[in-house]
Amino acid sequence: MEKDKQTAPTIIGLSPNVVKTKELINHVADTGLNIIICGESGVGKEVVAQNLYHRSPRKGKPFVKINCAALPEGLLESELFGFEQGAFTGAERRKRGKFELAHGGVLLLDEIGDMSLSLQAKLLHVLQSGEFSRLGSEKELKTDTWILAATNHELEEDIKNEKFREDLYYRLNIIKIYLSPLRERPEDIPVLIDYYLKKYSPRFRNNSLNPDYSLIEKLQEYHWPGNVRELQNVLKRILVLGNWEEIVDELTRSTYAKNDSTSDKASSKEPSVVSDILNSADGPLQNLESFSLKDIKRRALNRVEKEAISYVLDRTDWNRSKAAKILKISYKTLLYKISDLKIVPPKKF
Amino acid sequence: MEGVEMNKSYKLLIIDDNKETLSMLHAFFSKKNYEVVSSLSGLDGLKLFESEKKGFDLVITDLVMPNISGVAVISIIKKKNPDTPVIAITGWGEHPEALASEAKADLILSKPLQLDELEVSILDLLSIKK
Repeated sequence: MEKDKQTAPTIIGLSPNVVKTKELINHVADTGLNIIICGESGVGKEVVAQNLYHRSPRKGKPFVKINCAALPEGLLESELFGFEQGAFTGAERRKRGKFELAHGGVLLLDEIGDMSLSLQAKLLHVLQSGEFSRLGSEKELKTDTWILAATNHELEEDIKNEKFREDLYYRLNIIKIYLSPLRERPEDIPVLIDYYLKKYSPRFRNNSLNPDYSLIEKLQEYHWPGNVRELQNVLKRILVLGNWEEIVDELTRSTYAKNDSTSDKASSKEPSVVSDILNSADGPLQNLESFSLKDIKRRALNRVEKEAISYVLDRTDWNRSKAAKILKISYKTLLYKISDLKIVPPKKF
Repeated sequence: MEGVEMNKSYKLLIIDDNKETLSMLHAFFSKKNYEVVSSLSGLDGLKLFESEKKGFDLVITDLVMPNISGVAVISIIKKKNPDTPVIAITGWGEHPEALASEAKADLILSKPLQLDELEVSILDLLSIKK
């Protein structure tokens, strides 16, 4: 996704879900019909959006993305529709919104399930009429934008709970592309590993870095809460550390350790951060070359953060809003950390 | 050529993700001497529509289906072949119905279907087409 805009990132895999996704993309990319792309975080929803764009007649026109979860409501509204000078305090000059910027091209509304109901109503109006106005202006502007929406929510559930408008859902859900979580398509894991190893490190085109079959099997059994993005991160770490066993063990161990620990402090049984890192550096000497203080620091910090967050979560019985308050971080940051640091709730939750 | 077509049976494409509805419609229209091609998904239905060289006389599609909805099917068919009449059938609320008429469905019917009435509507649409 960080790639240049000239080519679409490749969709990797041979599972029925990936094959069907590619087929759908090829079939609908030229229709300009609204599309919802669903799936858990890290499965590659944006990659699908980029592929749709690159296969559409709108290729070369703007591809604009906005994350509806990252901004507070008022700010999201002004980002989407823009504003006139003096529309509100601080609006010192006119600003164009994403709908204007995406005119003729594609607007990807990421995390649409997190959009507030009042903004959903405004979005629905734009989708129905093809018109919108900047904040502080009554002039309706025409927009010709292909709307792609992505979400990790079950929108049907959100509709039942009155968190998502049914009429907006139907308008967006003209076409739906669902990406399965990685744990449901383990047959994609070897192909993904092969692809990303070659991509990240052309030096390793020889087979010396390729893992044993038994390690691949372990990775196929792992539940990948962070999906393909997590797999990418794991592979990047393997390229730095050059040690498959170490990292695969760490992944599987953290799952088991956290599943076993309820109130007793499993973390105290684990070696200290320093010895852990030193141990991992203690392996074959050539791996030391790939070590850096920066990397050790990051690993140490992750470890400390993970322990601190797990501790607070245990103490709050996994009440995540309470835990976020105690830690003095936002709820969203906490959720991100839980998934990024692979903190797993004890079985009883 | 017209004379030949008079004797020829009409060719229908029916798309519905509900097996029972689909086989019911298939059986009904086959019995009435229509040539019926049916599909359980929007994507397969579109593929059939595109690969059929001689084209279909009329398309019947369900509206609420996974992946490619009936609304998408109607839009894509009407874009490629505006003269092909399309009937939308739905068992849901009014939202997809509004979208179906925006997508230029020729007729929208709600389930449960009265098959005889459906056939009358089909013949109406086919006669308008002629």
